[in-house]
Amino acid sequence: MNTRIRLVVFAMVAASLLSFFALKNTYAADLSDDQIGRIKSNCLAIKGSLNQLHATDALLRVNRGQIYESIGSKLMNNFNSRLGNNGLDNKGLIVVTSEYQKALTTFRLDYLSYEKQLSATTRVDCTQDAIGFHTALEDARTKRGLVHDDVIRMNAFIDDYRSAVSDFMLNYERVTGKN
Amino acid sequence: MDEQITLVIDEELSYWDTHRFMLLIIATLIISVVLVSVSIFMYNVSGAAQLDLSRPDYKSVSDKVIRTDTVTDYSAYGPVTKSTVNDFTTIYDKQAQKAKTVDAFNGDPLNPEVLEFSDPTITSEQ
Repeated sequence: MNTRIRLVVFAMVAASLLSFFALKNTYAADLSDDQIGRIKSNCLAIKGSLNQLHATDALLRVNRGQIYESIGSKLMNNFNSRLGNNGLDNKGLIVVTSEYQKALTTFRLDYLSYEKQLSATTRVDCTQDAIGFHTALEDARTKRGLVHDDVIRMNAFIDDYRSAVSDFMLNYERVTGKN
Repeated sequence: MDEQITLVIDEELSYWDTHRFMLLIIATLIISVVLVSVSIFMYNVSGAAQLDLSRPDYKSVSDKVIRTDTVTDYSAYGPVTKSTVNDFTTIYDKQAQKAKTVDAFNGDPLNPEVLEFSDPTITSEQ
Protein backbone atom coordinates (compact mmCIF):
# COMPACT_ATOMS: atom_id res chain seq x y z
CA MET A 1 0.00 0.00 0.00
CA ASN A 2 2.80 2.36 0.99
CA THR A 3 4.67 1.51 -2.19
CA ARG A 4 1.61 2.35 -4.24
CA ILE A 5 1.23 5.74 -2.54
CA ARG A 6 4.92 6.42 -3.08
CA LEU A 7 4.57 5.55 -6.75
CA VAL A 8 1.58 7.87 -7.15
CA VAL A 9 3.43 10.74 -5.41
CA PHE A 10 6.52 10.09 -7.52
CA ALA A 11 4.44 10.07 -10.70
CA MET A 12 2.75 13.36 -9.73
CA VAL A 13 6.07 15.05 -8.94
CA ALA A 14 7.60 13.72 -12.16
CA ALA A 15 4.61 14.94 -14.20
CA SER A 16 4.84 18.42 -12.62
CA LEU A 17 8.58 18.64 -13.28
CA LEU A 18 8.18 17.39 -16.83
CA SER A 19 5.46 19.92 -17.62
CA PHE A 20 7.58 22.70 -16.08
CA PHE A 21 10.62 21.81 -18.18
CA ALA A 22 8.49 21.22 -21.26
CA LEU A 23 7.01 24.71 -20.90
CA LYS A 24 10.43 26.22 -20.35
CA ASN A 25 11.81 24.42 -23.38
CA THR A 26 8.86 25.53 -25.50
CA TYR A 27 9.71 29.16 -24.80
CA ALA A 28 13.39 28.41 -25.31
CA ALA A 29 12.64 26.66 -28.61
CA ASP A 30 10.70 29.76 -29.75
CA LEU A 31 13.85 31.83 -29.54
CA SER A 32 16.43 31.77 -32.28
CA ASP A 33 20.08 32.62 -31.59
CA ASP A 34 19.50 35.86 -33.42
CA GLN A 35 16.61 36.74 -31.10
CA ILE A 36 18.63 35.86 -28.02
CA GLY A 37 21.37 38.12 -29.32
CA ARG A 38 18.90 40.92 -29.95
CA ILE A 39 17.38 40.59 -26.47
CA LYS A 40 20.86 40.86 -24.98
CA SER A 41 21.91 43.82 -27.10
CA ASN A 42 18.58 45.72 -26.74
CA CYS A 43 18.15 44.78 -23.10
CA LEU A 44 18.21 48.34 -21.79
CA ALA A 45 15.77 49.64 -24.42
CA ILE A 46 13.36 46.72 -23.85
CA LYS A 47 13.45 47.26 -20.10
CA GLY A 48 12.80 50.97 -20.66
CA SER A 49 9.68 50.09 -22.67
CA LEU A 50 8.54 47.66 -19.97
CA ASN A 51 9.01 50.25 -17.22
CA GLN A 52 7.01 52.77 -19.23
CA LEU A 53 4.23 50.23 -19.80
CA HIS A 54 4.33 49.34 -16.10
CA ALA A 55 3.65 52.97 -15.17
CA THR A 56 0.95 53.65 -17.80
CA ASP A 57 -0.87 50.42 -16.95
CA ALA A 58 -0.81 51.35 -13.25
CA LEU A 59 -2.38 54.71 -14.11
CA LEU A 60 -4.98 52.95 -16.25
CA ARG A 61 -5.73 50.53 -13.41
CA VAL A 62 -6.25 53.37 -10.91
CA ASN A 63 -8.36 55.64 -13.15
CA ARG A 64 -10.45 52.92 -14.84
CA GLY A 65 -10.71 50.91 -11.62
CA GLN A 66 -12.16 53.93 -9.83
CA ILE A 67 -14.93 54.24 -12.44
CA TYR A 68 -15.70 50.50 -12.35
CA GLU A 69 -15.81 50.49 -8.53
CA SER A 70 -18.13 53.51 -8.44
CA ILE A 71 -20.55 52.10 -11.02
CA GLY A 72 -20.97 49.00 -8.86
CA SER A 73 -21.15 50.60 -5.44
CA LYS A 74 -22.75 53.98 -6.13
CA LEU A 75 -25.13 53.20 -8.97
CA MET A 76 -26.00 49.50 -9.29
CA ASN A 77 -26.19 48.71 -5.55
CA ASN A 78 -28.06 51.91 -4.72
CA PHE A 79 -30.60 51.48 -7.51
CA ASN A 80 -31.21 47.86 -6.48
CA SER A 81 -31.71 49.01 -2.88
CA ARG A 82 -34.16 51.71 -3.94
CA LEU A 83 -36.26 49.17 -5.82
CA GLY A 84 -36.08 46.79 -2.85
CA ASN A 85 -37.06 49.54 -0.40
CA ASN A 86 -40.15 50.22 -2.52
CA GLY A 87 -41.08 46.53 -2.59
CA LEU A 88 -40.37 46.18 -6.31
CA ASP A 89 -38.91 43.14 -8.02
CA ASN A 90 -35.15 43.69 -8.36
CA LYS A 91 -33.99 40.07 -8.66
CA GLY A 92 -32.86 40.36 -12.28
CA LEU A 93 -30.84 43.47 -11.49
CA ILE A 94 -29.29 41.86 -8.40
CA VAL A 95 -28.14 38.88 -10.49
CA VAL A 96 -26.40 41.15 -13.01
CA THR A 97 -24.85 43.23 -10.19
CA SER A 98 -23.55 40.09 -8.52
CA GLU A 99 -21.95 38.92 -11.78
CA TYR A 100 -20.48 42.37 -12.30
CA GLN A 101 -18.98 42.36 -8.78
CA LYS A 102 -17.48 38.91 -9.44
CA ALA A 103 -15.95 40.19 -12.69
CA LEU A 104 -14.58 43.21 -10.81
CA THR A 105 -12.97 40.94 -8.19
CA THR A 106 -11.42 38.83 -10.96
CA PHE A 107 -10.15 42.01 -12.62
CA ARG A 108 -8.49 43.13 -9.35
CA LEU A 109 -6.82 39.73 -8.86
CA ASP A 110 -5.76 39.36 -12.49
CA TYR A 111 -4.25 42.84 -12.50
CA LEU A 112 -2.37 42.04 -9.28
CA SER A 113 -0.99 38.87 -10.84
CA TYR A 114 -0.06 40.70 -14.06
CA GLU A 115 1.66 43.54 -12.22
CA LYS A 116 3.69 41.12 -10.12
CA GLN A 117 4.74 39.22 -13.22
CA LEU A 118 5.69 42.39 -15.11
CA SER A 119 7.72 43.60 -12.11
CA ALA A 120 9.42 40.20 -11.91
CA THR A 121 10.21 40.41 -15.65
CA THR A 122 11.89 43.79 -15.26
CA ARG A 123 14.07 42.32 -12.51
CA VAL A 124 15.43 39.54 -14.78
CA ASP A 125 18.88 40.41 -16.14
CA CYS A 126 18.25 40.07 -19.88
CA THR A 127 21.92 40.58 -20.74
CA GLN A 128 22.68 37.32 -18.91
CA ASP A 129 19.47 35.29 -19.03
CA ALA A 130 17.67 36.06 -22.30
CA ILE A 131 15.61 32.84 -22.23
CA GLY A 132 14.48 33.39 -18.64
CA PHE A 133 13.57 36.97 -19.54
CA HIS A 134 11.58 35.83 -22.57
CA THR A 135 9.74 33.20 -20.50
CA ALA A 136 8.82 35.80 -17.87
CA LEU A 137 7.76 38.23 -20.59
CA GLU A 138 5.48 35.68 -22.28
CA ASP A 139 3.87 34.97 -18.90
CA ALA A 140 3.28 38.70 -18.32
CA ARG A 141 1.85 38.98 -21.85
CA THR A 142 -0.65 36.18 -21.16
CA LYS A 143 -1.65 37.76 -17.86
CA ARG A 144 -2.17 41.16 -19.49
CA GLY A 145 -4.47 39.45 -21.99
CA LEU A 146 -6.52 38.11 -19.08
CA VAL A 147 -6.86 41.62 -17.63
CA HIS A 148 -8.15 42.84 -21.00
CA ASP A 149 -10.65 39.97 -21.09
CA ASP A 150 -11.87 41.05 -17.62
CA VAL A 151 -12.39 44.61 -18.88
CA ILE A 152 -14.46 43.30 -21.82
CA ARG A 153 -16.50 41.16 -19.43
CA MET A 154 -17.18 44.11 -17.09
CA ASN A 155 -18.23 46.29 -20.03
CA ALA A 156 -20.63 43.54 -21.12
CA PHE A 157 -22.16 43.42 -17.61
CA ILE A 158 -22.53 47.22 -17.66
CA ASP A 159 -24.58 46.83 -20.87
CA ASP A 160 -26.53 43.91 -19.38
CA TYR A 161 -27.45 45.99 -16.35
CA ARG A 162 -28.67 48.81 -18.58
CA SER A 163 -30.86 46.34 -20.51
CA ALA A 164 -32.18 44.96 -17.21
CA VAL A 165 -33.13 48.49 -16.10
CA SER A 166 -35.00 49.02 -19.39
CA ASP A 167 -36.80 45.68 -18.94
CA PHE A 168 -37.70 46.66 -15.39
CA MET A 169 -39.10 49.98 -16.61
CA LEU A 170 -41.22 48.26 -19.27
CA ASN A 171 -42.66 45.85 -16.71
CA TYR A 172 -43.19 48.63 -14.20
CA GLU A 173 -45.11 50.74 -16.71
CA ARG A 174 -47.18 47.74 -17.78
CA VAL A 175 -48.08 46.80 -14.21
CA THR A 176 -48.76 50.32 -12.91
CA GLY A 177 -50.21 51.61 -16.17
CA LYS A 178 -48.10 54.77 -15.85
CA ASN A 179 -46.49 56.24 -18.96
CA MET B 1 24.75 54.97 57.53
CA ASP B 2 24.45 56.05 53.85
CA GLU B 3 26.58 53.11 52.73
CA GLN B 4 24.27 50.72 54.54
CA ILE B 5 21.21 52.18 52.83
CA THR B 6 22.85 51.95 49.39
CA LEU B 7 23.82 48.36 49.99
CA VAL B 8 20.31 47.42 51.05
CA ILE B 9 18.87 48.98 47.84
CA ASP B 10 21.42 47.16 45.66
CA GLU B 11 20.56 43.85 47.19
CA GLU B 12 16.81 44.30 46.71
CA LEU B 13 16.98 45.15 42.95
CA SER B 14 17.07 42.13 40.66
CA TYR B 15 18.81 42.06 37.25
CA TRP B 16 15.55 42.81 35.40
CA ASP B 17 14.76 45.66 37.76
CA THR B 18 18.16 47.23 37.15
CA HIS B 19 17.81 46.99 33.36
CA ARG B 20 14.12 47.62 32.98
CA PHE B 21 14.55 50.86 31.00
CA MET B 22 16.82 49.08 28.53
CA LEU B 23 14.30 46.23 28.36
CA LEU B 24 11.51 48.69 27.66
CA ILE B 25 13.45 50.18 24.75
CA ILE B 26 14.34 46.75 23.32
CA ALA B 27 10.75 45.52 23.65
CA THR B 28 9.47 48.70 21.98
CA LEU B 29 11.91 48.25 19.10
CA ILE B 30 10.95 44.59 18.62
CA ILE B 31 7.23 45.41 18.64
CA SER B 32 7.80 48.26 16.14
CA VAL B 33 9.79 46.02 13.80
CA VAL B 34 7.11 43.31 13.95
CA LEU B 35 4.28 45.78 13.32
CA VAL B 36 6.13 47.49 10.45
CA SER B 37 6.93 44.08 8.89
CA VAL B 38 3.28 43.03 9.12
CA SER B 39 2.09 46.31 7.57
CA ILE B 40 4.63 46.11 4.72
CA PHE B 41 3.58 42.51 4.10
CA MET B 42 -0.09 43.54 4.01
CA TYR B 43 0.74 46.52 1.77
CA ASN B 44 2.35 44.20 -0.77
CA VAL B 45 -0.09 41.30 -0.55
CA SER B 46 -3.35 43.29 -0.49
CA GLY B 47 -2.65 44.99 -3.83
CA ALA B 48 -2.30 48.45 -2.28
CA ALA B 49 1.30 48.61 -3.52
CA GLN B 50 0.10 48.17 -7.09
CA LEU B 51 -2.28 51.12 -6.76
CA ASP B 52 0.12 53.39 -4.92
CA LEU B 53 1.17 55.82 -7.63
CA SER B 54 3.34 57.80 -5.20
CA ARG B 55 5.99 55.08 -5.55
CA PRO B 56 9.17 56.14 -7.39
CA ASP B 57 8.40 53.71 -10.27
CA TYR B 58 5.23 55.62 -11.05
CA LYS B 59 6.62 59.14 -10.72
CA SER B 60 6.06 59.85 -14.45
CA VAL B 61 2.30 59.26 -14.21
CA SER B 62 1.47 60.24 -10.63
CA ASP B 63 0.22 63.70 -11.70
CA LYS B 64 -2.24 62.17 -14.18
CA VAL B 65 -4.38 60.45 -11.57
CA ILE B 66 -8.02 61.49 -11.47
CA ARG B 67 -8.21 62.52 -7.82
CA THR B 68 -11.92 63.37 -7.62
CA ASP B 69 -14.55 60.69 -7.98
CA THR B 70 -16.80 62.01 -10.74
CA VAL B 71 -19.51 59.35 -10.33
CA THR B 72 -22.65 60.84 -8.80
CA ASP B 73 -24.05 58.85 -5.90
CA TYR B 74 -27.61 57.72 -6.67
CA SER B 75 -29.73 57.70 -3.52
CA ALA B 76 -30.89 54.31 -2.31
CA TYR B 77 -33.93 55.95 -0.70
CA GLY B 78 -36.91 57.66 -2.28
CA PRO B 79 -39.83 56.84 -4.57
CA VAL B 80 -39.58 54.88 -7.79
CA THR B 81 -41.28 56.70 -10.63
CA LYS B 82 -40.61 57.04 -14.34
CA SER B 83 -38.88 60.32 -13.61
CA THR B 84 -36.54 58.88 -10.92
CA VAL B 85 -35.67 55.90 -13.12
CA ASN B 86 -34.94 58.28 -15.99
CA ASP B 87 -32.67 60.29 -13.66
CA PHE B 88 -30.84 57.07 -12.85
CA THR B 89 -30.45 56.02 -16.47
CA THR B 90 -29.08 59.46 -17.38
CA ILE B 91 -26.36 59.19 -14.69
CA TYR B 92 -25.73 55.52 -15.48
CA ASP B 93 -25.40 56.05 -19.24
CA LYS B 94 -22.91 58.86 -18.64
CA GLN B 95 -20.74 56.68 -16.40
CA ALA B 96 -21.07 53.64 -18.66
CA GLN B 97 -19.89 55.77 -21.54
CA LYS B 98 -16.86 56.88 -19.48
CA ALA B 99 -16.01 53.31 -18.55
CA LYS B 100 -16.18 52.10 -22.13
CA THR B 101 -14.54 55.09 -23.86
CA VAL B 102 -11.08 53.61 -23.37
CA ASP B 103 -10.55 49.97 -24.26
CA ALA B 104 -8.28 49.45 -21.27
CA PHE B 105 -5.38 46.99 -21.54
CA ASN B 106 -6.05 46.37 -25.22
CA GLY B 107 -3.36 45.78 -27.81
CA ASP B 108 -0.32 43.63 -27.32
CA PRO B 109 2.55 45.84 -26.15
CA LEU B 110 4.46 42.83 -24.78
CA ASN B 111 4.56 41.17 -28.17
CA PRO B 112 8.20 40.51 -29.22
CA GLU B 113 7.49 42.34 -32.48
CA VAL B 114 6.47 45.46 -30.59
CA LEU B 115 9.50 45.15 -28.32
CA GLU B 116 11.65 44.68 -31.43
CA PHE B 117 13.33 41.40 -30.75
CA SER B 118 11.13 39.12 -32.87
CA ASP B 119 12.62 36.83 -35.47
CA PRO B 120 12.51 38.83 -38.76
CA THR B 121 12.23 35.65 -40.85
CA ILE B 122 9.05 34.60 -39.03
CA THR B 123 7.57 38.09 -39.31
CA SER B 124 8.15 38.28 -43.06
CA GLU B 125 6.61 34.85 -43.57
CA GLN B 126 3.44 35.94 -41.77
